[in-house]
Amino acid sequence: MAEAPMLRVENLNVLYGDFQILWDVSMTVGAKEVVAVLGPNGSGKSTVLKAIMGLTPVRSGKIIFEGEDLTKVPTHEMVARGISMVLERRRLFGAMTVRENILLGAYHRSVNKNTASRLEWVESLFPILAERRDQIAGRMSGGEQQMVAIARSLMSRPRLLLMDEPYLGLAPRIVSQIASIIQRINQEGISVVFNEQNVHLSFGVSHRGYLLESGRMMLTGTGEEMIHSDVIRRVYLGV
Amino acid sequence: MTFSLFIEQIINGLIIGSMYALVGSGIALIYGTMRVLNLAHGEFYMLGGYLVFFLVVTCGVPAYLAIPIALLAAFLLGALIQRLTIHYLLQREGWAFSTIAVTLGLSIFLQNSALLLFGENVQSVPYYVTGIVEFAGVRIPMQRLLILGVAILTIAVMTYVLKATRLGWAIRATSQDRDAAAVVGIPASRIYLITFGIAAALGAIAAAMMAPIYAITPWSGLPILFKGFVVVILGGLGSFPGAIVGGLLLGVVEAVGVQLTSTEWRDVIAFALMIAVIWVRPWGLFGSKS
Repeated sequence: MAEAPMLRVENLNVLYGDFQILWDVSMTVGAKEVVAVLGPNGSGKSTVLKAIMGLTPVRSGKIIFEGEDLTKVPTHEMVARGISMVLERRRLFGAMTVRENILLGAYHRSVNKNTASRLEWVESLFPILAERRDQIAGRMSGGEQQMVAIARSLMSRPRLLLMDEPYLGLAPRIVSQIASIIQRINQEGISVVFNEQNVHLSFGVSHRGYLLESGRMMLTGTGEEMIHSDVIRRVYLGV
Repeated sequence: MTFSLFIEQIINGLIIGSMYALVGSGIALIYGTMRVLNLAHGEFYMLGGYLVFFLVVTCGVPAYLAIPIALLAAFLLGALIQRLTIHYLLQREGWAFSTIAVTLGLSIFLQNSALLLFGENVQSVPYYVTGIVEFAGVRIPMQRLLILGVAILTIAVMTYVLKATRLGWAIRATSQDRDAAAVVGIPASRIYLITFGIAAALGAIAAAMMAPIYAITPWSGLPILFKGFVVVILGGLGSFPGAIVGGLLLGVVEAVGVQLTSTEWRDVIAFALMIAVIWVRPWGLFGSKS
């Protein structure tokens, strides 16, 4: 009998107004696992992550993390539960410096002890950010901003990191850099859930994947299983 | 105009301007964090005046005690009003625009409450300090110097709070990106509440200092609200340093302009300055183009 998964999403339904985005979505994430949420544009990938983080209201369903239902927990308390998130398009505090952005990642009272050692750990993952610490975050390149966003999210030393479209709008060279950072984060014992359109890009780093289409979970499996699946071919190629 | 009179006018302009700056920076803080244009902000100034009047004149509390009490009361009142009105609108998707109607309603409500409580008579508070300082032919009343001193102290404290405290970082982060702030653990609604209280207190400081010079009436908030808007437009909507510079600039330009023309031109000069700045830099002196 395998131990209970770290995160279990059950029959999640999310509506924006009258429009239903997610239909009975279920998924699990194990400890120290990297899970990719795949699907075409508009399939509801981002909504799954936002719902877990409490950024979007849930109509029905359960989100169980380490035994606790998160659907009533406000977003600003997630850090205290051990969950952190890298938002789509970085969403840095653009007028603040790199150092201020990163330190804000340890804002919550539950994680603002030993800030110096947290900072040291994060900057060991991103040495370039130590050099750039006094730069205004909004004036950096897209790749550098993504590193600041990831660094900020790691300051709370989460057990689960959600990454909304981490590769979006980045040059191919930067994408492979971010991919190796995801692997590095995972080696630190952190579970990662990220979403991405490109199937091949995703399975470079993830252990397992879920495929969403029009808000419904269509398929799950390892990278190998999913790449050869007929469902993937139908969803992406329309055949 | 003699040179010393000119210098006197510049100093007077800076003094009045520092009050415009305090009122404007409150409007800027509220707009910056919650994107709400607070049309009731003039009433915080008006209520601050009455609070000081009530404490000093009616109750006989010494000014050095009355002013801090009035500030605390204004902070609590501002926070309470935010919690009872704007809070509910910001909780709902797409209701933020209704804050214009609600703050306008609040403004009318607070004016009439003051009318009911204090009557329509013009009230004032005795000078906190008397005497005139004279230096190289320039004469400035002590009361006005006290105003400038309090304004500088307030601005210094606010700058420190925003730059170097946990609360200040939370306010700045929330104003830049509410969702990103929530993700790192900053509760936006509590920050909104505190920011509203601080903004109300800033208005009350200005009112407390001006109370011995300008009359307090239930309607004294409106003209200062207009000046506050000019200040935030000059400085860039939502910018705290912009509001400080905008306020001082407005005060000096008004004072010198009035000296060159006459008092009736004061508001014309203020709005001409605003239009001139919008013409060249529509985003204000400190705002960003986006």
